[in-house]
Amino acid sequence: MNARLALDLALASLWHRRRVLALACLTLTLSVSLLLGIQYLRTEVRHTFTSTINGTDLIVGARSGPLNLLLYTVFHIGNATNNIRWSTFQALEADDRIDWLVPISLGDSYRGYRVVATDRRFLDHFRYGQDQPLRLASGHWFSDMFDVVLGASVARELGHQLDDQIILSHGGGRTSFVTHAATPFRVSGILAATGTPVDQGVYISLDGMEAIHVGWESGIAAPGRTLTPEQARQRTFTPGAITAIYIGLKNPVLTFRVQRAINEFEGEPLSAILPGVALSELWRLMGQFERALLAITGFVVITSLAGLAAVLLTLQAQRAHEVAVLRATGASPALIGALQVIECVTLALVSCGLAVAIGALTLALLSPWLLDSYGLNLRLRPLDLAEWGLLAAVPVAALLVGLVPALSGWRQSRAGWGGARPG
Amino acid sequence: MTETQDTAPAPAEPPAPALRTRDLSFRWQPDQPRLRFPDLELPRGEHLFLQGASGSGKSTLLGLICGLQRPDTGQIQVLDQDLGQLRRGALDRFRANHLGIIFQQFNLVPYLSALANVTLPCRLSPERRARALPAPEPAARALLKQLDIPEDHWHRKVTGLSIGQQQRVAAARALIGAPPLILADEPTSALDTDNRDRFLDLLLGLAREHRIAVVFVSHDPSLGHHFHHHVRLGRSHHER
Repeated sequence: MNARLALDLALASLWHRRRVLALACLTLTLSVSLLLGIQYLRTEVRHTFTSTINGTDLIVGARSGPLNLLLYTVFHIGNATNNIRWSTFQALEADDRIDWLVPISLGDSYRGYRVVATDRRFLDHFRYGQDQPLRLASGHWFSDMFDVVLGASVARELGHQLDDQIILSHGGGRTSFVTHAATPFRVSGILAATGTPVDQGVYISLDGMEAIHVGWESGIAAPGRTLTPEQARQRTFTPGAITAIYIGLKNPVLTFRVQRAINEFEGEPLSAILPGVALSELWRLMGQFERALLAITGFVVITSLAGLAAVLLTLQAQRAHEVAVLRATGASPALIGALQVIECVTLALVSCGLAVAIGALTLALLSPWLLDSYGLNLRLRPLDLAEWGLLAAVPVAALLVGLVPALSGWRQSRAGWGGARPG
Repeated sequence: MTETQDTAPAPAEPPAPALRTRDLSFRWQPDQPRLRFPDLELPRGEHLFLQGASGSGKSTLLGLICGLQRPDTGQIQVLDQDLGQLRRGALDRFRANHLGIIFQQFNLVPYLSALANVTLPCRLSPERRARALPAPEPAARALLKQLDIPEDHWHRKVTGLSIGQQQRVAAARALIGAPPLILADEPTSALDTDNRDRFLDLLLGLAREHRIAVVFVSHDPSLGHHFHHHVRLGRSHHER
């Protein structure tokens, strides 16, 4: 059989029928785009999720389960069971296996968003995604006691600008009636969007956190004992307790040893977790969602195959005459069958190519907007093995589907002119 | 007769005729009447007119000669090849190499240009390519020119051609590479009288020029005077 001729004829035939085929090809392209898109999103969402925090070797909090600790430190969900004494933080600071520590103090909120008291080290050491550091979209990191830095989502949702004055609420929750009205904060900076819970945070200094709680020992402001901002600035504060610590080690090989040492810390009961491991566990918990997506992907495959079969049957109906001509000039039934298969596979390849192009273009155009508006961090990356596999399955399935008309064409043309009785 | 596929006759023997059939009969379905065909013998380069009413089995006979169907009984010899001795694949190759076929209509592959339709047999058959001198493309141009196809149609889709032009392009496709035998199945029935006579003149003239034998099937007896030999297929050949 003449492969070159078969290819030429198949391509010419596809081009000849391009008006009819354009729609069919569009259908196939859309379903392949959907299939590929869902698979890509699955991988990306999982990736974004499991790289919510990166570069931090250990997260330390009061003794609790790893998921609980992860949820309240990283995702701002739930509350700490207990605090960590400042002396513990200082003891860990002295450990020479530890490269850096970031103190985190939680408790207050601002219109439903968590207030995170920390210091410069948070900006310097926190990493997410592919080892990306935090970046300020505008302004600068807090330097004054009553400066506040807003996460990207907080600033966007509440419409805050630099130098806005904001009043924090005491305790968590969306509606708190107890506010730190006497000590307003000034927005000194706004973080760039990260697509992680960092966007949902309101960042103040540890000093500021201490200052606004002077006189609040009973849980409510005791009249006459609270400080005005001017009074507060005169004083220096040492935090009594913090909520959690992010730790980076000099040598990550020691992670498990340091984790064990912290878990057995004698001063007070602590838990140290590996954020990557805890994140993977959390993702497994949410596996239902992923499985549902997988099932949808399966249905999309079936839909596209049904579409492909319909296209082929439509095509085959009009071809009796041309098959007769080819047979008369000496084309073998195998060549007739091969034409069907080649056309089908070519169609699938074109659709796959278009789907990849559409997907890449959509992602390239939408990803900055998605990150800004929804905090969804989708990167444009080469396809991974699973996606190539899925993509390759489309022409293979097309080949199998193409065998149906190919076989019937082959059988008919073996028996005569190929279905038509010319003349 | 030898069984060699070589078309060149051995110098010592008289050349085999272009076509010879013996005792042919064929039945499409077991419950249908059996078609019986008269014995044919057509010397090389000569033209045979097969006349018969519709239903007389004209197209069936051509199908048998093409090797698309096998006869129930009898023998078909094209040149010095007994078709009964060829397997399906060899029959397809034999057809590509030695036969040109023209149908009543829908003769052309709709998505190829006129020129590509004419050179199609040369792509399927190395022998036809070798005989299309100096090369398939110039040979096709020459034929299209001789068959009065305007040059600006050569590279366009054949669907833009008139029926008469389409049939002449089909004739060029049958003629290219000078196959020893051309089978034409009512190629003029869709044409008006002027176009019909012009088509016949051109086809038979070029066939004579290239020493190609022609079997021409038609229901119209008025065309008979163009041909050397006449055979009439009739109801009498049917047999329960």
